[in-house]
Amino acid sequence: MDYSRPELADRLAAAYVLGTLRGPARRRFEALLPAHATLRGAVRAWQDRLMPLAAGLEPVAPSPQLWQRIEARINPATRSATTRAPAAAAPAGRWWAQLAFWRGFSALASLAAVSLAVLLANPSPTPAPVLVVLSAAAPGEGGAQAASFVASISGDGRAMVTKPLINVGLQADRALELWAVPAAGAPRSLGLISASGATVLKRDQVLKNAAALAVSLEPPGGSPTGAPTGPILYVGKLTS
Amino acid sequence: MATAPQDWTERSRELSALLARAGLGDRAAFATLYERSSAHLLAVVLRINRDRAQAEDILQEVYVKVWGAAQSFDAAQSQPLTWLTSIARNRAIDSLRRQQTQPQWQTLHSPNDEDPDVYDSVADDAAGPLDLLSRASDARALSHCMQALSAPQRQSVALAFYDGLSHAEVAEKLHQPLGTVKSWVRRALQSLKTCLESAVQRDVAERG
Repeated sequence: MDYSRPELADRLAAAYVLGTLRGPARRRFEALLPAHATLRGAVRAWQDRLMPLAAGLEPVAPSPQLWQRIEARINPATRSATTRAPAAAAPAGRWWAQLAFWRGFSALASLAAVSLAVLLANPSPTPAPVLVVLSAAAPGEGGAQAASFVASISGDGRAMVTKPLINVGLQADRALELWAVPAAGAPRSLGLISASGATVLKRDQVLKNAAALAVSLEPPGGSPTGAPTGPILYVGKLTS
Repeated sequence: MATAPQDWTERSRELSALLARAGLGDRAAFATLYERSSAHLLAVVLRINRDRAQAEDILQEVYVKVWGAAQSFDAAQSQPLTWLTSIARNRAIDSLRRQQTQPQWQTLHSPNDEDPDVYDSVADDAAGPLDLLSRASDARALSHCMQALSAPQRQSVALAFYDGLSHAEVAEKLHQPLGTVKSWVRRALQSLKTCLESAVQRDVAERG
């Protein structure tokens, strides 16, 4: 059969999308799709025509376990950690996805040694300050993730002091920007921080909704877009 | 309940943005996409494969596929719900093929029932395919074009689309010869296409 004949392509695509094309014919048709632009175009047109019919269906909530099963399937944590590309090599837009990925699995527990929040345990009438250690987002040589920055947040959550623990060696035409990363949604800028000394940041609620802190590399003056534009250099997870 | 047209548009925009972010590897966006779309897709799958456990297995495969293919989703070419629904329906129809058994449905007709109006006889515990058609009002042009079909044509298309029935299954359900059903479906699709194309042309003419 000449599948590039428009009316035949259209008829088959209609039956395929409706679902009445079945059995070996359906499998043959699917096998042909990658190589036949005419067929793909016809399928897309029929999907556009017919799928709105499904809008009238009453939604049925899946069981809560289903998402966990899906998450386990798509989570690269189940693969060897060594197959994970360093963040520096990943496209700049992906870094907070990696944060989400970090948050998601239990291997994070092993990172706790370098990326921990410590609640100072001395009994006090005021809430204890929170200490967050940020370490390199990309594992260094030998997989070591050295602590790179420390952020100390006052007990009332209104002030933060950041300090580098290593020699950052920042280029003159680059700046470091600190972000509060929520469990879901876009990171919120907390401002530029110094690569060589302490920076004091005062905000109403520095850590509001934050699940992690992250430092990205930005042009002087900070991200022009309000979202991180450069690679993520350091991250630290908050624990409550 | 029926989704209002503006809801459909807003939802599309939101789902497009979530798919784009999921395509970049954003798991949080993917989780939100799942929250916003899974109940709809499960409804689609359950109409076709009524085994709840199997339907959830299918839905799992659907979202694993969506995660892997999100990067290839092109908002300029497809509506996100159209794209997602197509993946879900394909998987559901494939599951029937793998099972190699007929989908189960109940029939309210006893063998001696002589009810002449077979098109009103579709037995179902949930909303019937025809109810669903009238609810899909956000696709107004489609709804209008469906109404223009003859009753048996409309019934055949609804059974195939919603319940994933093959020509033979539609024929059995409607107590009609296979050849008759095939030609109903073929003509129905042809009429829908012509009707929808002229609706689009009318829209363009009105706006231009």
